[in-house]
Amino acid sequence: MATAEIDVPREGLPTLADANRDISRPISTPYGRYWILLGICGALIAAAGVAWTIQIRDGMGVAGINNPVNWGVYIVTFVFWVGIAHSGTLISAVLYLVRSGWRTTINRTAEAMTIFAVMTAGLFPLIHLGRVWYFYYLVPYPSTRLLWPNFRSPLVWDMFAIGTYFTISLVFWYLGLIPDLAVLRDRFTGIKKRLYGAFSLGWQGTVRDWSHYRRLYLYLAGIATPLVLSVHSVVSWDFAMGIVPGWHSTIFAPYFVAGAIFSGIAMVITITIPLRWAFGLEKYVTTYHFDNMAKLLLLTSLIVGYAYGMEYFLAWFSADPIEQESFRWRATGFYAGPFWIMVFCNVVVPMSLWFKRTRNSLKALFVISVLVNIGMWYERFVIIVTSLAHEYDPSAWQVYTPSLTELTIMVGSFAWFFFWFLLFAKTLPTISIAEVKEHLAHEHEHGNGH
Amino acid sequence: MNDGGVRHDGSGAAGPEPTGDGATRREFLKVLGVAGAGAAATACGPPDAGDKLISYLIPPEDIIPGTNVTYATVLTGAGPEPLGVHATVRDGRVIKLEGNPDSPNVGRLSALAHSALQDLYDPDRVPGPRRRTEAGLVEASWDEAIAATAAAVAAGRTVLLTPPVVGSAARFYQEWAEAVGARWVAWEPLGLEAQRTAQRIAFDRDEIPTYALERADRVVCFGADFLGTWLGPVELAGRFVSGRFVDHGVQAKYTFVGPRLSLSGLKADEWLPARTGSETLVALATAREVARRKADGRAARVEATLAPFTPEAVEEASGITAERIRDLAREIAGARSPLALPPGIAGQGVGATDAHLAVALLNYVSGAHGDTVRFDGATIRGRHVPYAAMAGLVRRMGAGEVETLIVAGSNPAYSMPASSGFAEALAAVPNVISLNPHLDETATAAGWVLPSHHELEAWGDALVRPGYMAIAQPVMQPVFDTRQREDVLLQMAAAAGSDAFDVEDYRSYFESVWRELHGRMYGAGPSFEEWWHENLSRGGGAVGPGFPSDPAPSLTAAAANYRFAAPGGEGDDLTLVTYPTVQFYDGRGANRPWMQEFPDAVTKAVWNAWVEIHPDTAEPLGVETGDLVEVRTEAGSVTAPAYVYRGIRVDTVAVPLGQGHTAYGRTAEGRGVNALHLLDGSADERSGALAFSGAAVTLTATGRSGKLVVMQGHDYDEDREISEIIHFDDAMAAVREHHVDLTALVEAAYDSDPQSPYRWGMTIDLNACTGCGACVTACYAENNLPVVGEDLCDQGREMSWMQIMRYFEEAEEGFQTVHFPTLCQQCGDAPCEPVCPVYAAYHTAEGLNGQIYNRCVGTRYCANNCPYKVRRFNWFTYERPYPLNLQLNPDVTVRSKGVMEKCTFCVQRINRAKLDAKAEGRLVADGEIQTACMQSCPTQAIVFGNLKDPASRVSRIAKGSRGYRMLDELNTRPAVTYLKSVTHAALPAGGHGPGDAHGATESEPAEHGAAAEHE
Repeated sequence: MATAEIDVPREGLPTLADANRDISRPISTPYGRYWILLGICGALIAAAGVAWTIQIRDGMGVAGINNPVNWGVYIVTFVFWVGIAHSGTLISAVLYLVRSGWRTTINRTAEAMTIFAVMTAGLFPLIHLGRVWYFYYLVPYPSTRLLWPNFRSPLVWDMFAIGTYFTISLVFWYLGLIPDLAVLRDRFTGIKKRLYGAFSLGWQGTVRDWSHYRRLYLYLAGIATPLVLSVHSVVSWDFAMGIVPGWHSTIFAPYFVAGAIFSGIAMVITITIPLRWAFGLEKYVTTYHFDNMAKLLLLTSLIVGYAYGMEYFLAWFSADPIEQESFRWRATGFYAGPFWIMVFCNVVVPMSLWFKRTRNSLKALFVISVLVNIGMWYERFVIIVTSLAHEYDPSAWQVYTPSLTELTIMVGSFAWFFFWFLLFAKTLPTISIAEVKEHLAHEHEHGNGH
Repeated sequence: MNDGGVRHDGSGAAGPEPTGDGATRREFLKVLGVAGAGAAATACGPPDAGDKLISYLIPPEDIIPGTNVTYATVLTGAGPEPLGVHATVRDGRVIKLEGNPDSPNVGRLSALAHSALQDLYDPDRVPGPRRRTEAGLVEASWDEAIAATAAAVAAGRTVLLTPPVVGSAARFYQEWAEAVGARWVAWEPLGLEAQRTAQRIAFDRDEIPTYALERADRVVCFGADFLGTWLGPVELAGRFVSGRFVDHGVQAKYTFVGPRLSLSGLKADEWLPARTGSETLVALATAREVARRKADGRAARVEATLAPFTPEAVEEASGITAERIRDLAREIAGARSPLALPPGIAGQGVGATDAHLAVALLNYVSGAHGDTVRFDGATIRGRHVPYAAMAGLVRRMGAGEVETLIVAGSNPAYSMPASSGFAEALAAVPNVISLNPHLDETATAAGWVLPSHHELEAWGDALVRPGYMAIAQPVMQPVFDTRQREDVLLQMAAAAGSDAFDVEDYRSYFESVWRELHGRMYGAGPSFEEWWHENLSRGGGAVGPGFPSDPAPSLTAAAANYRFAAPGGEGDDLTLVTYPTVQFYDGRGANRPWMQEFPDAVTKAVWNAWVEIHPDTAEPLGVETGDLVEVRTEAGSVTAPAYVYRGIRVDTVAVPLGQGHTAYGRTAEGRGVNALHLLDGSADERSGALAFSGAAVTLTATGRSGKLVVMQGHDYDEDREISEIIHFDDAMAAVREHHVDLTALVEAAYDSDPQSPYRWGMTIDLNACTGCGACVTACYAENNLPVVGEDLCDQGREMSWMQIMRYFEEAEEGFQTVHFPTLCQQCGDAPCEPVCPVYAAYHTAEGLNGQIYNRCVGTRYCANNCPYKVRRFNWFTYERPYPLNLQLNPDVTVRSKGVMEKCTFCVQRINRAKLDAKAEGRLVADGEIQTACMQSCPTQAIVFGNLKDPASRVSRIAKGSRGYRMLDELNTRPAVTYLKSVTHAALPAGGHGPGDAHGATESEPAEHGAAAEHE
């Protein structure tokens, strides 16, 4: 990587003690606005809970979905969150394996984001079930009727893919936390000390500890890496295995993976910028890190844009009038609005990242990352809804408009995600202390450069 | 079990109804049991249908729990024709109606007839006698009610108003009126008085002839909706399709003449869009040209009368070019058995009799008279007064000359145009007594409401045609505290001091009528009891040797020298057409949820009334489908959503009848508009028939948009191998060159378990399908489909397992229509099955796509992945207000929220037949299983059976040259084979889709230039 050109100032580098103190400061210092944010999130979650309760009581009809468009905002938001969940593993595992040092200050946040995004995404398959009280039919358990789930169904693959991803991500994240938990254990007294102590699993920071730790971390990174590709590939098969024109495409797996990384990076940027400001971590998360993330964003935007173009090329190349009509309608029909929002946010806007000035402007980056998040939500909407609304039998064509219930639950999902994130920021170091210290020690010893 | 008139089975009438030949003692007792139950029903009141368990202390003879019992009866109130039915009764309540194979409707039914069940179980029926007080309606006892109404009748100047009846009831009402000194008036809003008058003038026969469509090789229809609402659509549709046996090289070319393509018009090969009211001129000009070509004796008789009506002379007034009239005449003259059908209700203007007469003359000169139009075996219709006479009654009522008005089965306050002043006159009548089952518009104005039985709870009879009588018997205990209408009248007469009737009740009255008739017919022969019970168990039967009559009575001099009005010039007014629909008919269907949710056969609109206008009329007004427009005539105005429709003349506006009720029940009230408000009450001079069309209208866009829910997303199949239509010559060539492709059969055989002897399959002949929708309603009744209401229909949440899509196909000239029934295709390689994570959708050993409700968790992936879009999800749990729930079929699960459902090929009927077969140690025989849709279809377009049996009917039809499978390129291997529709219209060689110029109703007509041709 071209990081050698990046100037990380040696002057004013925090000391190792600074790192301990700065990074763990938010954990001991309660902020007033923290409680307000937490309260807003709680209220929105409660509203979504009420909406879901009503949906369970009355039936799926309170959502706006209908006969041709059987999947709507719920599945759109599900795929959106699964996509968000991608950057965590990418940044933690893949960048770890390729020894990209710039990941150290953002990997904890990204991993936490992954966990919470999967926790959010995982709600939607339940929320969208017509009879959620029988959700366990999807689980392979030894039932007295000797019935297993249908392993031919992409929905079952999906469940396993996401379950695996969640498990590995959680273990990986926890493993990375252990040395930091030990730091916290040593900083606190009383019940906190006992809790952090229990979770730090008796970490002493000995050479033996470190050697086991590093080896396990490497192995887990190795295990997690293929998951970056597999999870969203499997999620994409929820659609690509279907016969629906607009879904049934071989490019879906790489297309979705790129889109997931794209949206995941965007979400990391969206979260890190305010977090860095709120917790005063400017010294640790610098424009150097944002510049690298912006480049990754640009790269994935190009892949996603290519995929959009390729979908249209394949529709034309297939010579299948039904497929062609589906794509013509996607760009010009009832849902032309969402389609062009998607193109603008995901393909046009990120092109500004070719310029270093944009990459180094946190304001611009924040706006772009938010737009990319919006664009990626619309991408899933376009893929799922426009394809279903306009498929084989013209007499069945029908459009779909989301209902208030669906939107409430969607907003509630964001609240749910940020609620967990706020709890995380208040109880655990948002930057890996151990890795930052390692990095700082390295800097202090050898000066600039890698 | 199959021993006699009472049949226990699960599949409805899977085979021919056992005849009563050699009636056994057991059968006799059974019938007596039925009779006894019915007598008890009339005598004691309290409703106990469905809410009591069955006593096993003395088990009722006919009730075997869990087993269907079938009773034969006849429906006279289910549309224009009497329909013989088999009522399927389970545990004491009727759950399904099937056509009676012994009656003229040969086992077929209409949508409206199926919905009679919802009329029977209508929660809005009046539950018992009611008296109107200042505080509103209060409950009263039957004794009070009879005493009070009898006193009113005894006071004199009573009018009894009923619908037209035939059989014993006609005699009864006459005798009753004489006994109490009342006047009996029979009236029918959609009457046939003009047609009758014309036959009287032309042939001195006050009868409606039989139209032998099955023999005709050239059909021209001047407006009658013979496939939907006119005369006898179930029977006529069957006859019509019998004349379209394309695989044997026969298909009558069919031309429709009129300003608007009705359900019947959409089936035509050719459309002559004559201006409203000018059908007479087109018929006369055609007759003139035919006569000129034939130049025989018949032609000579009418030559002078027809002389002024040259094709050129009528060109301007009708809007039909002389050339086209000449072509039509040439084809009629050259045909072996031509047939012209007269105008129906939609074409009934102020010159209605003339129009019928003109068509009669055309049939006369073309040779159809006596051949395809026959006066032997004619349909018997009850006499009724024309509209003009009703107007006279209104005058007398208004003048205080009517002291008491008894309304029995008629609802004139709704079905008389507002301009007639009936409602105001009704207020001037001191005693209004309603014997109607509902609180309809007329009953709402009544002082006494004495609700009568539904016809499924009552005794009655009908002479359906000379030589065939039908008997109506109660098929279950009354649902409410109601009485047989005639019994109420009998009790009234007795209480009023009349001793004219020495019978206990109406049942014995009408039995005595038939006893007398039997004596006259047979003298000594089979005993009356034997004869009677046989006919009762079969729902009717032959009576005597029939009434021999001349099939072709000679033309009267009056008709031969009739002076028709000379052709006028071109008018530029917009003219009005009002027409009855399959689902509402004269408005009686409006309170039945199945009928409100029934997609109209032409527009596919539900739960509303609409205004049909041509795209070229709509465009300058800036109106699109759903926008509110105001239609104003001199008599009044209505505001309703527009429906932009290609099949209507630019200068014509059409509004359906039957909606806009102000009373009648929760489903009907306040829904749509009543088109009768637009009629000024002008009537045909000769017959007194109400003019339903021809009024000048002004059309204004209100600028507001209304709500018209149209259950079809797009009107064109975009050449996707969905609705296929081919030219007759190509069909014939295909028949000649056709080779059976055995690979398809082998493939089909592997779509079920190789061990299973069955692979269930279906064929649907699009050439036979008329779009009448009987199958759709039959499915609702059989499979407990919920009705979801207008809003949910709008959201695309209708639950119909079977829908008839109406696809337009471009022709060289104008367009053709293919009615395309869609239902689960039961694919051999079904896309819905592998995607279900819990095996709720799975493949059965017999090749069905099973759907296990209990296992379904509601991911809805199956519905997304179904290319045919036939899966239905339960977005809510749908309620059926008591007693509508009594209709539910116990053999079919009632689904609740959150599960997916779809057509099962009536798996409950399949399983029942398999059990029967297994008990007898054999395989299910071909034809033993009829799905509900198949059983109802008036044209037998649907055939069901075992595809693994190469000799089965369905296998043989599926192998035919016209067979294709919907979206075959997806290789889903559907079990449903469609047979292409066949037309005589020239079709374009290349792609045929809509162009913008045609004004597709879809707001976004899709590009279709790129569409490849798959033929």
